[in-house]
Amino acid sequence: MYISKKRIQLPVWGLLLFVFGCQDSEMQIDDTYVFYQPAHFPEATYTLENNPVTEKGFLLGEKLFNDPILSRDGSVACSNCHQQGTAFADSQQHPLSKGVEDREGIRNAPSLANLAFLPEFFWDGGVTHLDFVPLNAIETEFEMDETIENVIVKLNKSETYRALFKDVFDMDEVTSPYMLHALSQFMVMMISDNSRYDQYLQGEEVLSSEELAGMELFESKCEGCHAGVLQSDFSYRNNGLDAMPLDSGRNRITENSQDWGKFRVPSLRNVELTSPYMHDGRFETLEEVLKHYNSGVQIYETLDPSLKSGISISDDERAKIISFLKTLTDRDFTRDPKFFIH
Amino acid sequence: MKTLKSTIALLAMAVLFISCGEETEDPQTKLGSSVAIEFDNFVGTSQVNLESEASTSYAYNTTGGQEFNLTRVQYYVSKIILTGENGEIFEDELQVSANADEIKGYYFIHESDNASKLIELTNVPKGTYTQITFNLGIDEEGVQEGAAGGILDPANGAPFWNWNAGYIGMTIEGQTSVIDESEFAIHIGGWKDIIPEDGTTQKFYNNVKTITLNLDVNMQVNSTLEPEIHIVTDIQKILGDVDFTATPQVHSPAVGRLFADNLESAFVVDHVHQ
Repeated sequence: MYISKKRIQLPVWGLLLFVFGCQDSEMQIDDTYVFYQPAHFPEATYTLENNPVTEKGFLLGEKLFNDPILSRDGSVACSNCHQQGTAFADSQQHPLSKGVEDREGIRNAPSLANLAFLPEFFWDGGVTHLDFVPLNAIETEFEMDETIENVIVKLNKSETYRALFKDVFDMDEVTSPYMLHALSQFMVMMISDNSRYDQYLQGEEVLSSEELAGMELFESKCEGCHAGVLQSDFSYRNNGLDAMPLDSGRNRITENSQDWGKFRVPSLRNVELTSPYMHDGRFETLEEVLKHYNSGVQIYETLDPSLKSGISISDDERAKIISFLKTLTDRDFTRDPKFFIH
Repeated sequence: MKTLKSTIALLAMAVLFISCGEETEDPQTKLGSSVAIEFDNFVGTSQVNLESEASTSYAYNTTGGQEFNLTRVQYYVSKIILTGENGEIFEDELQVSANADEIKGYYFIHESDNASKLIELTNVPKGTYTQITFNLGIDEEGVQEGAAGGILDPANGAPFWNWNAGYIGMTIEGQTSVIDESEFAIHIGGWKDIIPEDGTTQKFYNNVKTITLNLDVNMQVNSTLEPEIHIVTDIQKILGDVDFTATPQVHSPAVGRLFADNLESAFVVDHVHQ
């Protein structure tokens, strides 16, 4: 069965305890809250050795993720813009994220699936460690518009949170690194590795001829950027959305004009659910996205060289590619009860 | 995780050592003693005295003659190494941790707190030392360990950029009479070191500087001596030929580089108390 296969990375200690402690019983290991490395994924980048996932830590992270206490006026939680049903991307109604006082953001909130395996974060890659990701949402004025100092003051005023941090981390006082660790424990468990595509890769699922044809087309036309099992080479590219890009993108981080208007090549995991598309959410459907590559590419000096003449995709090919992209949908992930609010 | 690896290596060595049962020196004499490092902030020849944010008194001048005062001077010192000419070497242990009490080898010097300006190194092996090396700022090794406590906690005053995540290595803030808004802020940060690909120009600026200073004397360390290295930091040299009318606010690695390049010459060992 697939489940048992993918959870081969149980900690050795757990196995030893199991072997010695439960030899004659039929006790099962509850691995719901055990981080695992899917065998076919790139190696996890997260520093688990500094912050190992525990059930209590995960549940504290989940509580924080869903708690608007992180925002200045108590109106916005992480979960406002990262919803499980859309693989922890924003809802389709919000091409740009909505912050406190209904302030509009500048970019589309991306899916949080498989963050544990990504080298850099955000559309511009400005953050290189998952722990530091929430600081941006908390302190950006059009998101939560709060200060990290004040979040910690508020958490310390809450007896519930003080007791939880004591229980999880054995700390008498809430401090920001432990708050960020709890959030990371919750987020690194957002592993989406059980789509039909994954099952196909493991030899446990058969794809239709249409889907297989789409996969072949995808490999020949898209894989130059959407490479590997997460469909991203994690580079930053200008995919020709505008003749004069207004959002500087990667340039904001590298301060190099050669990076103007470049954004990270996103993973396409669960792409069927993460509409709208692009850094600014300008396309509502996958059809629009593929039509853009076929005939909509705009020329700007940083345009990716591979897109100079667009990517020729016929109507028939487009339908097949979309069929394949839908095999990347992981309903086990979007319905996984461990992410439900406890 | 370097720390973990070296801990394991040390444990392995300890086990080996014990099992071999060889005679050794008394650990007390072998480990030597403590060495103190004191940082003293100056502007040219004047010691820094912080002013309040409403102050209109300008005690200092840039080399270009623009008058200014200082409201905040703070910086990170890390990766301290002492070396001698006979192979003596002391490398300060480094550890990033969410637990403030477990942070090792990272120091936050800030002018408003005298205690922060004194670093105490312990267990320096006995010998004769002639050089000190340290990093000004927090490099990749420190940033990529993730969220940290104490002096590295942004909720506790650690200067940190969220958007281009990393610590601000040096912060110089104050007021100047040459601009209407009066306030200036020079934040030197940026730690990413990416070699440009073919056909591209420099991206990112690593403004973490490694500073090596010669001691003015051969510093003796043994169990009866506790020397103190007195380092003077000259803010005037860091500001260099700044023109506050053109550059009152510096908040990115590319602009901060102009000041980071001055760091190496801004530190000197004034003297060593033997």
